[in-house]
Amino acid sequence: MLLLPIMQLMLFAYAISFDVKNVATVIVDQDKTPASRSYVQAYDASDFFAVLGQADDVAAADRLFDRNQARIVVVIPAGFARQLAAGERAEVAVFLDGSEPNTARIGQAYSIALNRVYGSRLTFAWAETQGVDVTGLGQLEPRVRTWYNPEKRSSDFLIPGLLVVIIMIVTVQQTAVTLVRERDQGTQEQMSVSPLRQSELMLGKLLPWTLLAFVDMVVITVVGMTVFGVPLRGDVLVLALGAMAFVFSSLGLGLVISAIAPSVDVANITALLASFLPAFMLSGFAFALDSIPIVLQWISYLFPARYMVTISRGVFLKGAGFAELWPELLALGGYALVVLLIAAALYGRRR
Amino acid sequence: MSWDPEALRGTPVNPDAAISVRGLTKRFGDFSAVDGIDVDVPRGQVFGFLGPNGSGKTTTIRMLTGTIAPQAGQALVLGEDVIRHPERAKRRIGYMSQKFALFEDLTVDENLRFYAGVYDLPPERFAAQRRYVLEMADLIGRENELTANLSVGWRQRLALGAATIHDPELLFLDEPTGGVDPVARRQFWDLLYDLASRGVTLFVTTHYMDEATHCNRLAFIYRGRLIAEGSPQQIRRDFISQRILEVSVGDPDAALQWLEQAEGVAEAYLSGASLHAVIGSGAQGRDELAPWLTGRMREAGFADVRAVEVDPTIEDVFVNLVSRQP
Repeated sequence: MLLLPIMQLMLFAYAISFDVKNVATVIVDQDKTPASRSYVQAYDASDFFAVLGQADDVAAADRLFDRNQARIVVVIPAGFARQLAAGERAEVAVFLDGSEPNTARIGQAYSIALNRVYGSRLTFAWAETQGVDVTGLGQLEPRVRTWYNPEKRSSDFLIPGLLVVIIMIVTVQQTAVTLVRERDQGTQEQMSVSPLRQSELMLGKLLPWTLLAFVDMVVITVVGMTVFGVPLRGDVLVLALGAMAFVFSSLGLGLVISAIAPSVDVANITALLASFLPAFMLSGFAFALDSIPIVLQWISYLFPARYMVTISRGVFLKGAGFAELWPELLALGGYALVVLLIAAALYGRRR
Repeated sequence: MSWDPEALRGTPVNPDAAISVRGLTKRFGDFSAVDGIDVDVPRGQVFGFLGPNGSGKTTTIRMLTGTIAPQAGQALVLGEDVIRHPERAKRRIGYMSQKFALFEDLTVDENLRFYAGVYDLPPERFAAQRRYVLEMADLIGRENELTANLSVGWRQRLALGAATIHDPELLFLDEPTGGVDPVARRQFWDLLYDLASRGVTLFVTTHYMDEATHCNRLAFIYRGRLIAEGSPQQIRRDFISQRILEVSVGDPDAALQWLEQAEGVAEAYLSGASLHAVIGSGAQGRDELAPWLTGRMREAGFADVRAVEVDPTIEDVFVNLVSRQP
């Protein structure tokens, strides 16, 4: 029970990487001048692009796309060196394989950045030859900055989100299944004959998993900070409060599933659908919530993960506290209350 | 017939009885699972609640244990109104179902400790009860064994021990012998007698008719209604006036077909390895029933047939009662 979350953390954090590296790149150099060759070298020097070779024309590049041998094709048209030398805008075409949107999006950003840096270097060189004081041309230097995670390390983004995904899976799955199993082995009915009250039964069900979830959470935080070097910049109290509401929400969701599910198998699958998928896809963990279809955005409000991912990332990375995160805390608190009341009602019904 | 199904109707519930029920009704949608039953179960008795599957036995127990609420009727359990205050009798009753209700991933001892915790037993009482249960269930030395690894007979006895860990005055047993072999069933009934001798009232449902003779009193439930109630002797005497022949034959299937059509035979059915033929009113007066039937069956080609007149069993009574229902 303790090992599983750590294993999940290691597995996910290492396996899922949004860092894009070594993207197959093919150059079509129609200029074939020293200037164009030095431009190609700029691509070669970057970690992002892996220049596999040269193609003769755009049609050849197209075939490489089709065979998935290239993701990016850079075409340097004839006249590139002449335009540069004349101080004109030199144009370069960059084709991206859009079938891998993530790579394409990042590839686009990278090549624009590269060209801007390269371009500014050329401008510096040109300015020097013209005897212009470059210090006065400060605006030429592009300032590319990534906030909160300047090194663009995906583990910093991943681990605060993974925390949410793992806790959600553990809690929903466990509560959903244990209760159905108790119905199967008849112990639930035995309990209903016993003097235990409904509230005592619910509490007994929730308490161990709440404790476990908190231990898991602490372990993931510690491993994330020590092994992966994730910063914890914000208000830990907000994180703890959010976590509590989130754990109760997830446990409540599990209880509701187990109250409805007719068998262990159904409970298992439903729990997976209700925990893993929303936590992964609809929480902002893997995909930015404002870039998913509007219907999915609505659905995402039905699961507690999206609120907790915001809280977790806010506290870990942005140094946020109550002032920034109170709407999410409130939403999670309300969610927990409602879902636990529904679960209690489903259990309390005397059929 | 001396039993009057309406005898208790309209009389007040009896607080001195272990269970006293009037007009108890439970409907699921249009289906009446339990349809206005009236019954008193005296204290200290082994009360058998008999009926085929789906006749309303479990639903009745669940109403009496306060697990579900009836639509109509009154029910006193140990003098407490279980419909209005289901929690009041809960400490004084025990319940054991066919599922045995044990945590399979816990050991024998852990299961007992869990149920002792549920009933809030003080440590010294638990120690005594634990010793009694382990002895009774023959589980001494196996306290740390995983419940899942026990065979059915042991699990059943452990479940009985867990259900009686709080020393209840009244124990509900819902098909407690389902899926258990005949030897283990016999042993289990010995344990039930032992409980009864200590003054515990037992309310047992079963569809094994041979187990009915173990009970002090019986009630038959069929399609949610009581169709007979009384001691086994009373029931046999009151409900069967017909004589019964036990027929042994090499080809029981063919013989059964023949008997069902035969003149003078009111009813025929399989009973264990042999057939039971209920003799119709027309032939009841004959002195020599067995030779009369065997002669006719030999003529019909059943050369190896043997018949002997037997006392009606509870099963005979039940088949007879059911066949009379509309």
